[in-house]
Amino acid sequence: MKWSYKPKDINQSAKGIACCDWVNRGCAFANGKIFFNTLDGKTCAVNATNGQEVWVTQVANMARGESITMAPLVVKNKVLVGDSGGEFGVRGALTALDTETGKQIWKAYSIGPDADCLIGPNFKPFYPSDRGKDLGVTSWPPDLWKIGGGTVWGWISYDPQLDLIYYGTANPGPWNPEQRPGDNKWTCGIFARRPDSGEAVWFYQWSPHDEYDYDGVNEQILVDVPINGRMRKVLVRAERNGHVYVLDRTTGEVLSATPFVYITTSKGVDPKTGRLIPNEEKSPGFGRVVREICPASPGAKDWQPSAYSPVTGLLYIPHQNLCQDEEGVQANYIAGTPYVGANVKMYAGPGGHRGEYDAWDPIHARKVWSIRERFPVWSGTLVTAGNVAFYGTMEGWFKAVNATTGDLLWQFKTGSGIVGQPVTFLAPDGKQYISVLSGVGGWSGAIVPGQLDPRDGTAALGFVNAMGDLPMYTTKGGMLYTFGLP
Amino acid sequence: MCNVRRSPFAVRRGGSSASGQRPTANLFLLAVLLALAACHREQRSIAPTAISAARTFPVRVNNPYEGNAYAIAEGQRLYEQYNCSGCHFHGGGGIGPALMDNEWIYGSSPANIYTSIAEGRPNGMPSWGGHIPDYQIWELTTYVRALGGFEGRVATASRSDEMEAKRAEEPKK
Amino acid sequence: MMVGAETIQSALRPAGPEAARLTDLWWIFFWTCASFYAALMAFFVAAWIRGRQNVEPDVTPATERSHTTAVTAALIVSAIGLLALLVTSVAAGRAVGKFATNSNQLEIEVTGHQWWWEVKYPNPAAPNQQVVTANEMHIPINTHVLLRLDTRDDIHSLWIPNLHGKRDLIPGRVNKIFIQADRPGVYRGQCAELCGLQHAHMALVVVAEEPEKFAEWKKRESLGAPTPQTPEQVRGQQVFLGAPCANCHNITGIDASATLGPDLTHVRSRPTLAAGMLLNTRGNLAGWISNAPAIKPGAQMPPNQLAAGELQDLLAYLDTLR
Repeated sequence: MKWSYKPKDINQSAKGIACCDWVNRGCAFANGKIFFNTLDGKTCAVNATNGQEVWVTQVANMARGESITMAPLVVKNKVLVGDSGGEFGVRGALTALDTETGKQIWKAYSIGPDADCLIGPNFKPFYPSDRGKDLGVTSWPPDLWKIGGGTVWGWISYDPQLDLIYYGTANPGPWNPEQRPGDNKWTCGIFARRPDSGEAVWFYQWSPHDEYDYDGVNEQILVDVPINGRMRKVLVRAERNGHVYVLDRTTGEVLSATPFVYITTSKGVDPKTGRLIPNEEKSPGFGRVVREICPASPGAKDWQPSAYSPVTGLLYIPHQNLCQDEEGVQANYIAGTPYVGANVKMYAGPGGHRGEYDAWDPIHARKVWSIRERFPVWSGTLVTAGNVAFYGTMEGWFKAVNATTGDLLWQFKTGSGIVGQPVTFLAPDGKQYISVLSGVGGWSGAIVPGQLDPRDGTAALGFVNAMGDLPMYTTKGGMLYTFGLP
Repeated sequence: MCNVRRSPFAVRRGGSSASGQRPTANLFLLAVLLALAACHREQRSIAPTAISAARTFPVRVNNPYEGNAYAIAEGQRLYEQYNCSGCHFHGGGGIGPALMDNEWIYGSSPANIYTSIAEGRPNGMPSWGGHIPDYQIWELTTYVRALGGFEGRVATASRSDEMEAKRAEEPKK
Repeated sequence: MMVGAETIQSALRPAGPEAARLTDLWWIFFWTCASFYAALMAFFVAAWIRGRQNVEPDVTPATERSHTTAVTAALIVSAIGLLALLVTSVAAGRAVGKFATNSNQLEIEVTGHQWWWEVKYPNPAAPNQQVVTANEMHIPINTHVLLRLDTRDDIHSLWIPNLHGKRDLIPGRVNKIFIQADRPGVYRGQCAELCGLQHAHMALVVVAEEPEKFAEWKKRESLGAPTPQTPEQVRGQQVFLGAPCANCHNITGIDASATLGPDLTHVRSRPTLAAGMLLNTRGNLAGWISNAPAIKPGAQMPPNQLAAGELQDLLAYLDTLR
């Protein structure tokens, strides 16, 4: 081992405000430093050569229920850090810190008055429903925007040509939608901002007035592809609400939105207004149990990042196939405690398998092939120029498949379930390696490390109902596996 | 119910006469009456006093509401309202540990559970002492004990109140 | 505004078209039944007197026949009477149950809790203008008001006798009822379905007023709480946020967004406390805060042990919430 760094004074009580297991989605390297976040709300900068601490900045306020799980992104000497805590009544925000000093440069809230959201004269959303003064306040009942979620715990992308950063905002809180009538802006959407000032350029809302915890934080794949015979700068997003979106990333216009799983909660996207058309029959509320909500709260696909291959022109999407029953109850806001207001029980969707690994053609908006897995495919994926796609399963199998056909080429059983992201790199010895972390956990796998009781299906926000058999397939662990390519 | 049981007995004994048996019958009646007198209605603290709302030091060892159905029901209501269910759900756990299994990190006695709620625990359990009345902490303690199976079947509700995952007409697993 | 002598809770003094219809029905039933009763009593008394005069029973085939005719006639008259009542009753029921939607109607959500009423004025176009209050309902006169009824715990039933009949509040479904007030006034509503210990003390006050006054009230209610001015009020706000109060109550404008108890943003503008049980005076409020279950056993508001100074500061702060 070269060096090891452990932040000082980690506040253990942060474990009590992490909705979905104690997770960290990764670190970033820039300017000779490693940047990463801690659950108790700190961003740390460490010298990459010797492991010496450069600076530590407290970004999130734990007393308000804020924590950090996301991987930061460095753009133009700024570390971009978002918060977590959408189940604790926090006010989501993205913060830019100086890479050298750790000082805050700007902070853009996801809800509240325009000034707080860094929405100014250059804000030009494509659809009229996103235009208006202080929509982050007026689309909420009085005061609820202060505790309405819209956290930024997913992935940030940067297009240096357009000089825009893209990131999604998470679910509005509480889950019980009857407590927060209105569009609940700017939650469950995507912002395009200038990295220098944080100023918003456009916004699109995947799920206005989200009713199912369909956080809008998934990764965005930035590609230039021909759409209807014309080259376009697009942003491809496999979204939690069950649609693969193709957006024009200069304007925020929806070019297509195609279902990639079985959906009962919505009836498509209105091409004129760009608005998701909700299915009123599946609307959860006080005292009602609504059955067969598909996809379930983790969505058609959660945080696990997909991969795009310029060789095949396909998008590789690891995802789950889950539905749920949900009952709305009264969510009561007490600072630092959960603010959810829903009893949920998830189960496998049509077909009985809980996970899927799909190859998707974003230009023609169709599924090319699909592999079924017993458990949700909760790992990230990787596709190489050698036309091989890698992903892991929650039982612990690390699999390599033919990127064109989906045929299984190789698999290896690791010591624990895989919920990490595989990476590939060229080592100094000139050989190519593939690495993946094995160690089950996360929202879907919480039953194993947390020793949750499967007799209570509502446990872990209802995920335990679908994962009761996981402890029979894997145990907890934490190992880094590295494979050499022949 | 008691009347129904007593009367056929009285009729049979009285009918078969023999006056010497009367004292036995009377003694039996007396025993029944005494047994009935031993029955008592559960004490329900529907009007808790201001004193019961204040914390006491040192923490009492015995649970004032042990086996009290009303306290368990009140504890269940508070468990939902104060968001305990947000972390521990309905006993299975999630953000916080499960409460329906055999593992008790900080002990399962009423005083242990009371202390966990009142003082909090370092891995994320917030402290509720001073934020909610003391008698409510004891009601919560009693409900958590019931979740853990310590309160017996007499006082505990026979089913949970949260929704069933299956439709009523579907067969149970 | 005081609630006392002028508060009315009577189905016989209708203040709106639905209640008037029901009152008419009531009087029709009353007079029909009363006349039948009077006639029956007259026959009974006559029979009794005749029975005392005629010692020998006068039973011949002829009298038998005449008796049969009389009984048959009485039966027919009764049947017609009952049928007429049935028809009138069904007609009245249909008339008051009609859900004529019109564009300028007002929608109010009424939610039952053990043991108080939550009253919400939703505003789908501008959710931040939504108004929430408790145990009081303001309505503009001569306006169709749609009440959407729901409950968070037991079955309750809303009954504002001067305005309409009863309508149940059922968990998991929204029941609807239309009311309308023809003249300004203060009317009392009451839970009409046994819902636990304090069912009898679950009342609400309905204030029917001129549309201008109603709009003024609603505007005032949509504002957040004012910033405390005096040091006493400032300390009182801190007491509120630090004491258990903020675990259960919402005050718009400060860091208190709990949803279990009544919204307190304008608590001191309401006529009553404890769901119609107490007049809203500073003394009653002090007593209620100190030991609510002593006043209303079973009430979910716990007793609060506050130092005398703290209680006075808290009351000073709450006084600003009008």
